[in-house]
Amino acid sequence: MDDDIADILASVSAPALPVRTLDLQALTRAWVNERTAPELLPYPTDLVDRVMERIGKQISTIEEMSGTMDPQANFTLVILQTELERFKFLVRSFLRARIAKIDTYTLHYATLPSQLSPLERQYLQSHQSLISTHYSTSFLSTFPTSLQKLDDTAGGISMVDKPDEDAAVFCRVLRDTGNVEIQGISEVAEIEMKRGDVRVLRWSAVKEAVERGDVELI
Amino acid sequence: MEVKWPASAWLGASDRVNLARLHRIRLFASSTYITPSDAQRYAMALPLPPGLTPSEVGFLCEMEQVTIIPRQRLDGLELLGGPTETLRPPFPVPLPLWLALLLKKQKRADISPPPWLSVEALTQILDFEMDERTAELFSPSQDLPAPTTTAPLDGDPYLAHDALELSPPFLKDAATSRAQKDALPYHWNELGHLLLTHAADNFVEPDMVRKLLRDLREVRMSKLRKGFKVLDAGAGTQMNNVGGMEIAEVRGFVVGVVDGLRKLNRSREESRKERDDEERENGIGSSSYRDDEDEDML
Repeated sequence: MDDDIADILASVSAPALPVRTLDLQALTRAWVNERTAPELLPYPTDLVDRVMERIGKQISTIEEMSGTMDPQANFTLVILQTELERFKFLVRSFLRARIAKIDTYTLHYATLPSQLSPLERQYLQSHQSLISTHYSTSFLSTFPTSLQKLDDTAGGISMVDKPDEDAAVFCRVLRDTGNVEIQGISEVAEIEMKRGDVRVLRWSAVKEAVERGDVELI
Repeated sequence: MEVKWPASAWLGASDRVNLARLHRIRLFASSTYITPSDAQRYAMALPLPPGLTPSEVGFLCEMEQVTIIPRQRLDGLELLGGPTETLRPPFPVPLPLWLALLLKKQKRADISPPPWLSVEALTQILDFEMDERTAELFSPSQDLPAPTTTAPLDGDPYLAHDALELSPPFLKDAATSRAQKDALPYHWNELGHLLLTHAADNFVEPDMVRKLLRDLREVRMSKLRKGFKVLDAGAGTQMNNVGGMEIAEVRGFVVGVVDGLRKLNRSREESRKERDDEERENGIGSSSYRDDEDEDML
């Protein structure tokens, strides 16, 4: 009786996608979000680790297959290599987008290490020290001591550049999330987000929804 | 050596800038005074503006599944993106578009065009788009299945599988032979273009389909352009059922306009926000602006 119910349930419910396909969807979404958002998003450590491991295994499989010169295996090799190149492009473009943001807003992200991976933190440190050494040796040492700071916040104006949090982004709503506040010129309005909506919104309005996965950037 | 900075060159619109600050390193490191547009900062690591380029949208589209009819046997492969089925001619099999195009180029398979990429379906959609009554809408896109996931719990990391809702290009049956016939999927433009370029012999009337795709593209782009009039600094413009390539085309313009409007209205918004905050703190009617000032002058 229990086996029958399990069989019926299994036949009725849709088969779950394999973990690899879900990882591909997650990596693609991470890539598009990172390329579109003005700010650095949290680093998906587990996802990237899994993907890099699989890529490494695939590379060794390809190297083994390159040994045999069987024509049928040759074509399979071409397919595997093409797919590997696609994955490598995704990972590389994702990492480059993040590094570009770290480069542009170095001092800002130095105060937010939780968004970065350990390697990115190392990169940030060395980038920061290189830049400040360069500035000191070129002209900063000639300035009076009180004016030599790069991250001064006195006087109400901070010298540290922040990414523009109100930049416009295109987004698609994946789950009904309720209302989102938008700042109009003369008033503050609330709009409802329904599944399937495509909107142009300020990043600050959708940031939390994107991190939760209710909204994706396109 | 004494360095003199001409004050007029660096004073911005804000009069809160302290003159002493003008001698600071901020002149070199800050975007507010030096770079021509503070909307875009191009770094060497990725010298592209935010948002996907059309080629990247094309790359994304190549992950869509299409149905192929194999001509040769091929064993199922364990790809990085998931396992593929064994190819046994002549049974149709769904495969990602990049793999289908590869097989087609090597003449090992034929791609079967999705139902919405036929003359009848496109003519019907084009009639809908050109109808005056739908001047402000795009034709409806394919039906979305109900969401299968819910919002993540607090401890879940960003992009955890449990909270990952599928979206194009991974929606089921957007371009396979079981796709919906009367609606265009998100990547309709790129899919149509790629299939017509590489698999034109698998179409019934490729020239007609090409012409219809071109017409559709023109009608939809003109609708998008008409929608530019309602672009607002507060954003929130809705454009449901728009396609991927269309967004890539107008992204630069729309983002520039919305950001520009926001900057122009920034001072007005800030003063409104200050007024709202004051009212909230002290109760309504406490703002210093007096409505009856004009009457007093009489």
